[in-house]
Amino acid sequence: MGFLELIHLTKRFGNVTAVHDVNLSVERGEFVSLLGPSGCGKTTTLRMIAGFERPTAGRILLDGEDITALPPNRRHIGMVFQSYALFPHMTVAQNIAFGLQMRKLPSREIEERVRQMLALVHLEDLKDRYPHQLSGGQQQRVALARALAIEPRVLLLDEPLSALDAKIRMELRIEIRRVQRQLGITTIYVTHDQEEALSISDRVVVMNQGQIEQIGTPLEIYNSPQTPFVASFVGHLNLLPVDRLDMETGIAWVAGQPVRLSSPLQEKRAAMHLAIRPEELQLGAIEGYNCLRGRVSHVLFLGSVVRLQVDVGGSSLSIDLLNRRDQKWPHPGEPIAVSFAPHAAWLL
Amino acid sequence: MKGRPSLWSWLWLLIGTLYFFLPLLATFLFSLRAKKGVLSLLAYQRVLQDPRFYRAFLFSLEIGVLTIVFSIALVVPTAYWIRVSAPQLRSLVEWTTMMPFVIPPVVLTFGLIRLYSRPPLPLTSTFEGTTFLLVAGYVVLSLPYMYRAVDIGLQAIDVRGLTEAAQSLGAGWGTILFRVIFPNLRVALLSGSFLTLAIVMGEYTMASFLVGLNAFGPYMWLVGRNKTYESAALSIISFALTWFCISLIQVLNRGRGVAQIPGAH
Amino acid sequence: MAAIRSEQRKLSLLLERQWVSSLPLLRWIAGLPYFGFVFFFMILPFLFLLIGSLQDAQGRWTLKNYMDLLEPSILEAYSISVRISLASAIGGGILGFLLAYAITVGGLPSGIRSALLTFSGVASNFAGVPLAFAFIATLGRTGLVTVLLKSAGIDLYGAGFNLYSFWGLTLTYIYFQLPLMVLVITPALDGLRREWREAAESLGASTLQYWWRIALPILTPSVLGAMVLLFGNAFGAYATAVSLTGGFINLVTIVIGAQISGDVLYNMNLGYALAMGMVFIMTLMMILYRFLRQQGERWLQ
Repeated sequence: MGFLELIHLTKRFGNVTAVHDVNLSVERGEFVSLLGPSGCGKTTTLRMIAGFERPTAGRILLDGEDITALPPNRRHIGMVFQSYALFPHMTVAQNIAFGLQMRKLPSREIEERVRQMLALVHLEDLKDRYPHQLSGGQQQRVALARALAIEPRVLLLDEPLSALDAKIRMELRIEIRRVQRQLGITTIYVTHDQEEALSISDRVVVMNQGQIEQIGTPLEIYNSPQTPFVASFVGHLNLLPVDRLDMETGIAWVAGQPVRLSSPLQEKRAAMHLAIRPEELQLGAIEGYNCLRGRVSHVLFLGSVVRLQVDVGGSSLSIDLLNRRDQKWPHPGEPIAVSFAPHAAWLL
Repeated sequence: MKGRPSLWSWLWLLIGTLYFFLPLLATFLFSLRAKKGVLSLLAYQRVLQDPRFYRAFLFSLEIGVLTIVFSIALVVPTAYWIRVSAPQLRSLVEWTTMMPFVIPPVVLTFGLIRLYSRPPLPLTSTFEGTTFLLVAGYVVLSLPYMYRAVDIGLQAIDVRGLTEAAQSLGAGWGTILFRVIFPNLRVALLSGSFLTLAIVMGEYTMASFLVGLNAFGPYMWLVGRNKTYESAALSIISFALTWFCISLIQVLNRGRGVAQIPGAH
Repeated sequence: MAAIRSEQRKLSLLLERQWVSSLPLLRWIAGLPYFGFVFFFMILPFLFLLIGSLQDAQGRWTLKNYMDLLEPSILEAYSISVRISLASAIGGGILGFLLAYAITVGGLPSGIRSALLTFSGVASNFAGVPLAFAFIATLGRTGLVTVLLKSAGIDLYGAGFNLYSFWGLTLTYIYFQLPLMVLVITPALDGLRREWREAAESLGASTLQYWWRIALPILTPSVLGAMVLLFGNAFGAYATAVSLTGGFINLVTIVIGAQISGDVLYNMNLGYALAMGMVFIMTLMMILYRFLRQQGERWLQ
């Protein structure tokens, strides 16, 4: 029995089912991300945990207690919003103190706790500033401190970084993870940014159209996607149509070229694809490896990575290679051979 | 949270609705009682058969149209010019559009009459002069609304871009104003015009001092002095007129706010 | 080919120079009509009144007119005007706020909201002569409601109510103050973000605590600013009062109106001082309103 349990959670808005039969068990102190495209139901799920939406069906258990019908102000849950939602007429310190005042703590204790929170998010100097005087990143840190001040049982974050620019986002997500580890607080983090989810979570829940596609560690999600959606949503994935599949020899024919597969073959499905990550491919023909031949269509310099797009029998194959100084890069139009290990590809 | 309206919301709505509709209902019923013992439209008949009604109505209508024309001719080039070549004067111009609020219509009328009843510009000595003064006064009253409507309208179109495009194609200022700017301001101008019309038709303060019973506002007041049922009927007619103008503006603006009219109070 | 191109370049340079050089001239010509109008029909009348208020009947400079403003009957006029404006601003303000609350935060259906906003647009402009008649027809001595209540046993006028009095006029004023409040405060209430309420709830606040500690403080500058606007609106009103009471109640606007029609009770210069007094108060109100609105908008972006 986990610390936070979502049991058959469903939410319908009229005819639309936003969340369908979501089951999740979160351990105490775990950092779990809900990852998916817009409209996949991740925010609705989070809001049900917070109490701002009433589930149509299902239950939510927190530390053994059924909180499904409990109003949000009695759940003792901390929430960080995408738009920060700082009270504009209060200073940073007053914002952080608010939840403590609601709990009627003595003012001395409130002062001490506020001081601790400010130190935690490194904002001691700004305690008398007003929200409109702070940058986006600073506001979000205040929002975090405010939510944590009440020592909530669970911390919920709803796309907290999407309104910030890239550099701040990277700094802040590490900050959030650090604080979370330090306090050991159970956390649910909603995001559509897979890099964010993969880099800081203990586990990732991939959602699509109201349902859970897969739950696993970041490594599991990336390396062993269990559904086509997860495979293509998380990371970049090449999908090459398979013309013919020989079940006995374990050879698939892609663009007229044979490819040996190592993963066990399931029954034939109607339209199969060969799935392989761009970083698994190498230039040139290698002994013992599968080889595909085609023509280079684009060479994209992405900084530390160079992405070659190769036309293989009408389909586009992306190859990611590290940008080495001494490398000679092929030109568009040149014929090219790429190799990959049999275990690096699988059928979808 | 904006989900279920609470009982309180319905209560306030009820109270508000009662307060609004009771006087209207009472006035309407009152206006139907001109004939003793029977509900009839006699009061309305009498009003609509009064030649003074039409004279005053048409007079105010003409004044309204004149006000609209002058207002547009004054405001549009100015607002355009502010945006395109003199943005630094913007706050000065906005300040001048605030002045009509600070100088109540009574005070403005006072100043205008005293100022222009003596040489070198004794406008009040002739009918044309006083009419001109009245139109000028109304342009002042409607200035904030007309300017705001046009300003918002200009903001919605890329004024600078359109101007520069037109210039690069060889257009002079006149062409730009009439063939590029005005057509794009149609909605803003229409809504400003209807608001001005509503202002002028109902206005009493300035009209009573300058043109007396020639205008619709003072005419209504006179009827009220002598004939209670007819005045109630006029009230309803005036309300319907105002409703017509404002509804048109709402339709044109699709929900953006409508401000209050000065001088009618 | 090169010859044509150089000709083209010369031509475009010429046009450019003309365009640039015509700019300052154009700038001034374009501004003239507007500022001319403002000068002749707003600034000049105002200056005329200002100067007149500082002179006596013979044209000598004096501050006597302003001293005379402290005369009891004049102070009384200002007092009545201020009190009516306050009463209708507060009364209309509170009721208008509650109504606006109902259609925004209170969650009434959007059909009702747009109907109410349209109606408020109409009602806030339905003022002056027709409004006065409407109230006479409703609450006058032979008004419908008066008669109805009498038949139900309640004698309004016997109990001391009088439409043609301070409170009657206030009630009438509220008819256009209330909708104005609704129109002005609805955007502010719309600006009350849902997340603030949710954040407050997640931090343990009850509905009452949310309103007391968060929503009302945030809304206060906007509400106060709106009430200031209402005050100014009522203070400058003339037509409604004149139509309802026939000049019986001594509002400042009515006294000024009497000056225009040539009332020989006071002297003209005193009238000018009266007018300037009004402008002064209205200017104060305007400054206060803009300050409060700025403050409110900062929080309710």
